[in-house]
Parts: sequence; structure tokens; C-alpha cells
Amino acid sequence: MVLAGSNGSGKTTLLRIAAGLYKPSRGKIEVYGLDPQRERLECRRALSMISHQAYLYDRLTAIETLRIWARLLDRPSADSDLMPLLASVGLERRPRLQVAGFSAGMRKRLTLLRTRLEQPRLLLLDEPFSALDVEGKRQVEDWIRDAREAGAAVIMASHAILRVSRLCDRAVLLERGQIVWRGDGEGLARRLGEQA
Amino acid sequence: MTRRIFGVRTLGLLGLGLLLVGSYFGLFVAPAERYMGQVQRIMYVHVPCAWIAMVCYTAAFVFAVIGLWNGKPRWDARTTGAIEVGAVLNALLLVQGSIWARATWGVWWDWDVRLTTSLVMLLLFAGVLALRSFVDDSDRRATWTAVATIVAFVDVPLVYFCVRWWRSLHQTQSTPETVSPAMVLPLRLNAIAILLIAIWLIAQRAKLERERLRKEQVDEPARVTAGLEVTDA
Amino acid sequence: MNVIRQALVLVGKDMLLEWRGRSRFISVLLFGVVTLLLFSFAVGPDSVALRAAAAGFLVLALLLSSTLSLSESFRLEQEERALEGLVLLPVDPVALFYGKAIGNTLFLLLLAPIFTPVALVLYSVELGAMKILTLVGLWALAAAGLSAPGTLYAAMTSRLRSQDVLLPLLLFPLVVPVLMGSVKAMALVLGGDPLEQLRSWTVLLGGFAVIYWSLCGLLFPYAIEEGG
Repeated sequence: MVLAGSNGSGKTTLLRIAAGLYKPSRGKIEVYGLDPQRERLECRRALSMISHQAYLYDRLTAIETLRIWARLLDRPSADSDLMPLLASVGLERRPRLQVAGFSAGMRKRLTLLRTRLEQPRLLLLDEPFSALDVEGKRQVEDWIRDAREAGAAVIMASHAILRVSRLCDRAVLLERGQIVWRGDGEGLARRLGEQA
Repeated sequence: MTRRIFGVRTLGLLGLGLLLVGSYFGLFVAPAERYMGQVQRIMYVHVPCAWIAMVCYTAAFVFAVIGLWNGKPRWDARTTGAIEVGAVLNALLLVQGSIWARATWGVWWDWDVRLTTSLVMLLLFAGVLALRSFVDDSDRRATWTAVATIVAFVDVPLVYFCVRWWRSLHQTQSTPETVSPAMVLPLRLNAIAILLIAIWLIAQRAKLERERLRKEQVDEPARVTAGLEVTDA
Repeated sequence: MNVIRQALVLVGKDMLLEWRGRSRFISVLLFGVVTLLLFSFAVGPDSVALRAAAAGFLVLALLLSSTLSLSESFRLEQEERALEGLVLLPVDPVALFYGKAIGNTLFLLLLAPIFTPVALVLYSVELGAMKILTLVGLWALAAAGLSAPGTLYAAMTSRLRSQDVLLPLLLFPLVVPVLMGSVKAMALVLGGDPLEQLRSWTVLLGGFAVIYWSLCGLLFPYAIEEGG
């Protein structure tokens, strides 16, 4: 499902409430029957969030970052397990380079690997296509399709309407915190094309 | 609501009245202490201030724990009120203790165990109030106030024992414990009086805090209403 | 156990980052040495007075250095909102606390091998090996006592504007027992312990550490969640 809407319409807020980072001032939210505020850890085990912040440490290398994530998640953390992951996004070539020297696109790709490790049931994506070149955007599209195939649900907030309309079953348009329209991906492209 | 405040105001007035009565007894009726004379009469406010300051801080601790547990904003308002009133009493007792020390030992400060502990206590809780003033988000402010209050309160007995051991290596002069029966009445009267005034002040402060909070929340930006249902693809 | 494992991974992460940014450790070290020097200038070249105050100066240097290291320990997490990333993984907030607190304690402990000899030399104190070991043990207890509430407060104040003033303001009155206990205990090690009081002060330090390591671990989740 895609959340569309202008800046400030509430897309990011909604995603962050689902992740338990914001407390809703009114109403209730349930993620797989869990309350993100009361059952934080269980909720977060089921989901993975990608947002504007990269959540990276400048002085670590890519492999070190992955290793720490893998160990924290109790997943296999040997180099033989992690190198293929790095290779899949093209980050295996400069093993000694610290994150501080990464381009924005490289940071994004490393962050996406985190969700690969987390293997969530629910993906919350806030502008997943930003800061990526054409190849990177294509990779993210493929990756979202793979995730859906594996059975995960995806909620994505994005401005990239055309690209997203191909990917999504459902779409919701937000304005100032309210839902003003629901439909599917094509309908969204049409509606926003009409309004342009 | 107004009825409750009216009830508390009665307590406040009662407290003021009792304070006058108790002070009359303390200043004019009770006998002068054998060695210290008239100056000793400052005890009639000093000791009750100390007792009720501790009561206020303990109340703040209890409110903080309840507030963390159930997250309702009125407990933060009560915690704040209790800390502020406690801090005022704390400051008063330090001044009174200092005056007493000057009159008795000739020095403004003599590292008396309880007075030194009170000074640290005041700094601890003043710090909590300072922390509050830097946090804009009301939820976070409430949570952090509660956390800091609990941490500060647990420290008080530790500081007391520490200072006591530290002092026990040197001389042990401190305020006299033995009180003759004629002195007990004004002490108790004043203690109850100050307690009632404190309750009244805390209730007022809590009400003020809740109103401030209400005004803050009116200005908050739009919230998201979601009727969304997402199931696995 | 999940929490312990996560805490140890986090300690490793912090140690690696500290090593990568070791110029900061060296700066804190130099800061401490400068304060030790300033204390002796404040008293004057009176070796008797200096020797009597040596323990106090050493502990004060530790305390002042700790505010630097504690506030720094969360600044790294603020840069890319890395803390939020950890919390979302999910990392148990309790593991986060103990990981940070252990890391902070180790950092302060690493200052001991430099601060102690400098103090002993500047303040004309002679000590045998056994006593030096006792001193280091007391240093460890003091570092532990400072780190638990320090980590909790650093986490809170790192999100605020006046962090550099708030952290000491909150921490210093709180750690008065640690200050007094470690000064008294170290003074007994340096100057002799005719009344066998060292044990009671050590128990006080240990008690403070135990109480605050438990309490702050319980309260830490409240310090890092909520809000934006």
C-alpha cells in the first residue's frame, strides 16, 4: 500500500506511530494485533522501518555495520554470510571504506540491507527511492517485489507516484492527517495526473 | 472541580490559622530552652519545615511512580507541585538552620549532618525542575520528570548516611533532640499547619500545571486519523 | 540470554568506535591531567597540603572527565539518529543501557593508569604495588557508580539544547555519595587506615553502584522512548 500526499500530510507520522516511535494523541493502532506502545519489542520484531535517517555510524565499515546488526538480531554473522549481502547491492568492493566516505546512494543501499537481515512481516518505507540513481531505484523495486512474494506486507510513503503505482495494490491519499481518497495504484496515478 | 478546590482552600485557611495559633504558643507560651534562650524558638518553624519538606518529596516520589505507571498527565502536575513546594520548604529550612547555627555556634554553616543533606536534597530537586524547563514536549517532560524524581529521591537516604559517616570522624554537634512536653504542642500544631498549607499549595500548583498543559495541546498540529487495514499481501 | 548478548555486542561496537576516534580519548585524558595540575596550582607548592588533598583531587579529576565522556557517549548516537535505528531493530532498551553503562565505565577505568601516576607524582605520594591495586579497584567502583546514573542522564540530556550544563547539574548532587566514599577510601589507602574504615566505605561505594545499576536499568526505557 502506498501513502501519498503532500509534505506535512501525515505520511511519516503514520509510519512512525506504527513503529511505536510516536504516541497517538487519539485513537488506537494495532499491528498484527499488537499495540506498538505497549508491546514494543514484539511489534518491532515483526516490522522493519526505512526512513530518511540512515541509522549508520560514520566510523564503521559496511561489513562491520552488517556484522553488528546481524549479531544484535541473532542471525549468522560470519563474513561468509555477510559478503554475499554486500555484493547484492554492490558494496563489496571497498571493504576498508568507512561509512563517512559513502555517497548518499551507498548509505541507502546499506540501510536496505538491514531489512534483509531483519526479515520482517511488515515493511514500513518512508521515501525508499530517494537519493538513488536509476539502477538503485530499479533494485529497490525488485526488492519490494521480492519482499511481497515472500509474504511481507509493505506500506510505503512516496512522492514517486508513477513508479509506485506499478508496485502497489492499494493507495491512500492523505491530507493534513485525514484520508481523502482510497483506491489502487493506477487510480492514484490517474487522480494525481488529473490534478497536475 | 470548583468544589474540590473550595475544599482544599478551606484546608489552606485552616492551616494558616493553625500556624498562627502554633506560633503564638511557640513564641510566647512555651518555656525558653535552658541553654539557648529565645533563639531556640526558631525550632518551632524549622523542625516542621523539615518534616513537611520530606513529606512533600516523598509525595513527589509516589506521584512520579504512579505517573510512570499509568501515564496520565495529572500525576505529572502533582509531582511538579510537590517538588516545588518541597523545594521552597527546603530552602526555608536551610535559611532557618543557618540562622540557628549562627546564633548558637557563631558560624553560618557548620556541616551539620541534616543540614548538609538538606542542601544536597535541594540541589537534587532543583535540578529536576531545571530539567523540566528545557523539555518542550509535554509527554516527554512528564516521563523525564518522573524518572529524575525517582532517581533523586532514592539518593536522599544514601546521601544522609554518607554525610553521617563522613562527619562521624569529626565532632558531632547537631540540633538537640530532647524536647520537653511543653514544647511538643506548638511543634505539632505548626507541623500540621504547614502540612495543610503545603497540600493547598500543591493542589493549586497542580491545577495551574494542568491548565498550562491544556493550553499547550490546543496548539498541537493535526493528528492522523487512520481507518487503514493492511493485511499480508 | 538475549539481553546480555545484545549488551555485549553494543559494548564491542562502542569500543570499536572509541578506538577509531581515539583522539577524543586522548583529549579527555589531557583534560584530566590539566585539572590535576590546576588543583596543585590552586593549593600552592606545599607538599603536605597536597598530599592530604591528593585523593580528593584525583576523584574530582575523574568526575570532571566523566561529564565529558558521558555526554559524548550519546552524541555519536544522535548524529544519524543511530539510537533510533538500534531501538527499531529491535534492541532491548535494557541491553542498550547496560551496554552503554559498561562502555562508559570502561572508558573511565582506562583513565586510571594515567591519572593515578600523575597524581602520585604531583602530590608527592609514595605507594607500594598492593596499594596501587587497591586504588585501581576503588577507581573502578567509583567509575561504575558514576556511569549508571550518568548514562541515564546523558541519554536524556543529549536530546536537549543545554546538554553541557544540564548533565553536570543533574549528576553532581546525585553522586555525592560516590564522591565522598571514593575520596575517603582513597585517602585511607594513601595515608594509612588506623581504624580499619576502608571496608565500610567500600561497601558504601558498592551499595551505591548496585542500587543505581538496577534502578537506572529499570528506568532507562522511559528515558529513550516517547516523542519525536
